[in-house]
Amino acid sequence: MSVREFKPLPAQPAPDATTGPIAWVRDNLFSSPFNIAATVIILASLAAVVPGMVDWLFISANWSGTSQDACVKDGACWVFISAWSQQIFYGSYPTEEIWRVNLSLCLLAGVIALSFLLPDRLRNKVAVPAFLLLPFICILLLDGTMLGLTPVTTDLWGGFSLNVLLAAASIIVAFPFGFLWALGRRSEMPFARSVSVTCIEFFRGTPILALFFMGSVMLPLFFPADVTVDKLLRVWIILILFMSAYMAEVFRSGFQAIPSGQYEAADSIGLGYWQKTLLIIFPQVIKVSMPNILATFVMVFKNTVFLLVIAVPEMLQVIMSALSNSNWLGGHAIEGYLFVGFIFWACCFSMSLLATTIEKKLDTGHKN
Amino acid sequence: MFSKKTAEQIQLETRPSGNGATAFYNNPKYRGWIYQSILFVFIIGFFYSIISNTLDNMSAQGIKSGFSFLKTSAGFDVLMSLIPFETTDSYLRIFMIGILNTILVSIIGIIFSTILGFIFGIAYFSRNWLIKQIAIVYVEIFRNIPVILQVIFWYTVFNALPIARESLNLGDAIFLNVTGLYFPLLVGESGSGVVYGAIIAAIIAVFIVKRWAKKRQELTGEQFPVLWSSLGILVGLPLLALLVTGIPFHFDYPALRGFNFQGGVSVIPEFLSLAIALSVYTGAFIAEAVRAGIQSVPKGQTEAARSIGLKESKIMSLIIVPQSMRVITPMLNSEYQSLVKNTTIATAIGYPELFTIFAGSALNQVGQAIEIMFMTLAIYFAINMVISLVMNHFNKRTELSTR
Repeated sequence: MSVREFKPLPAQPAPDATTGPIAWVRDNLFSSPFNIAATVIILASLAAVVPGMVDWLFISANWSGTSQDACVKDGACWVFISAWSQQIFYGSYPTEEIWRVNLSLCLLAGVIALSFLLPDRLRNKVAVPAFLLLPFICILLLDGTMLGLTPVTTDLWGGFSLNVLLAAASIIVAFPFGFLWALGRRSEMPFARSVSVTCIEFFRGTPILALFFMGSVMLPLFFPADVTVDKLLRVWIILILFMSAYMAEVFRSGFQAIPSGQYEAADSIGLGYWQKTLLIIFPQVIKVSMPNILATFVMVFKNTVFLLVIAVPEMLQVIMSALSNSNWLGGHAIEGYLFVGFIFWACCFSMSLLATTIEKKLDTGHKN
Repeated sequence: MFSKKTAEQIQLETRPSGNGATAFYNNPKYRGWIYQSILFVFIIGFFYSIISNTLDNMSAQGIKSGFSFLKTSAGFDVLMSLIPFETTDSYLRIFMIGILNTILVSIIGIIFSTILGFIFGIAYFSRNWLIKQIAIVYVEIFRNIPVILQVIFWYTVFNALPIARESLNLGDAIFLNVTGLYFPLLVGESGSGVVYGAIIAAIIAVFIVKRWAKKRQELTGEQFPVLWSSLGILVGLPLLALLVTGIPFHFDYPALRGFNFQGGVSVIPEFLSLAIALSVYTGAFIAEAVRAGIQSVPKGQTEAARSIGLKESKIMSLIIVPQSMRVITPMLNSEYQSLVKNTTIATAIGYPELFTIFAGSALNQVGQAIEIMFMTLAIYFAINMVISLVMNHFNKRTELSTR
């Protein structure tokens, strides 16, 4: 039996450039024939499209002016947006009363900030009631009759502020409803459970547009003949019910994430049902469901655009009526839709970033 | 001796609050009944007031009730229908046309959104940095813009196309203009039945080969090139039938006659805009689902597969994708259902699906909101039920079986 002699290979020089920009380009763009082809094709098509787009959007775009005549260059006519900006943001709300819309938006921002800034002890006692009161304070403020301000009827409310306030007001009121429905769905009482399941499945299974439609054609039939229900109020009711169903499912998955030991511990120290639910389980459910709550909010915020179908003057509806205005018949549809698209994209994208951040922050809690 | 106590008795005796707790209203069982009775009374009252108000209002406004309106003539035209239609036809036929158009756009949307979703979901894991960035940009842009805006945007784009005389032309076969998309229709002549038969036979043969190959692999460990042989059968058998029967097919090309194209298949711009917007929007969500699914497969699985010497392509198709389908399938289910619900936005551009022509036009004329909304919603529930059943069946096969 012969033993092969061990011959070490000669030492090789260190591989050149495994880090740094050149290595990065080689690894990430030109690692295989397929990748080289893909990179070349993508770069070529970007080079073909991007300069023209940038030129149309920014360089030869018309930025200043007040009327269509200002759009002389062949780029985008952003004058269209700036001329209609008040309508786009506030609808037909009277100019001298716009501070009320702004104040409502500030209140909303303030309450959100409050719930982040307040110390833990005060948060539940101050922020929660503030949140629940907020929609009603905003309605009083915007309507103005009860506060002795100039009354502004709801058909004048509109624009982007309506999208924001309607979405916020819906999700705030849907919070307790969704929580109750989720509790109902988990409860051991057969009748309560089946009622909750029916509600949740009905509102989740129905297209939101059909719900809005029912709100505008069927809800008036449900009320006594002498009661007229405001159109915006009907929309709000529909949005609340719709949101509640989605929130109920969010909360249900939150409940399922709570270890049963938490329930047992609460039982063992003799807490009653509501004490157990509100003091032990609910805070944990909220924490776990926060990213999903934000995702649901993004969804309802996007869905407020659907209201244009029943002629509620939300942002896109305002743009579309501006497009058919006789002073602006130059075909500015692309600018208008791009603007609406960009605004919604910016809002929804930043909220989904926030959701991801929260998710990462909470990730340490239950998993390790 | 200990007497056996029920859980209820133990609970009552061990309650810290002592005697007061034994009162009947503190007994969870009775309390449950009390709560439920209150709920029951509330719901009965709620529905009683709604129904009585509705009946009062309907009689005050002179709205009839019942389904007899379905037989009367609708008297309006629809833009597109898969079954023959005249303006004198009944509301029932409008209802059928609406259902068919909804199903058509749903199926097209589901197919294309799945393709887009899987392409971009897998592209996220590409080694090419640019491809990965494109996948991210696609998802983040189209997921975050309201779908109704996307539909209206595409509709505006199609309305800006040139007129029929100046159509965009691809090889004199496919035309695109402001009235829609036109492409050739494959028409079968006598003898085409043989070819269709060959296609069916080829599909059956592929299943038999697949089963035989699996059995053989289990018995002997030898692998049979199933993919290539099935492709061969699927292409070869119909091709053979085509040649034997002397190619009994011809294309019906669209041609410009008068002001518009005749012949071939024509697709209206409303359908195109709706299908594109729904596919792109839902595709972005499906891409996210696919990404989450692939990420949910532990890295150890890939490493284990590499360590037994599987090729990279086999790792993806045999190890990663089957396991990620467990996470993807339930998400696909809800995405498909929301796609079907989103077809209702057709009403913003006037594509004649169920919601537009039945809950819109027909409701406007007849005014019987209750019946029409009930019928419309029942159809959406039914379609979603079918999707749910199919996806759950599919889910059962991919589910992790645990003991």
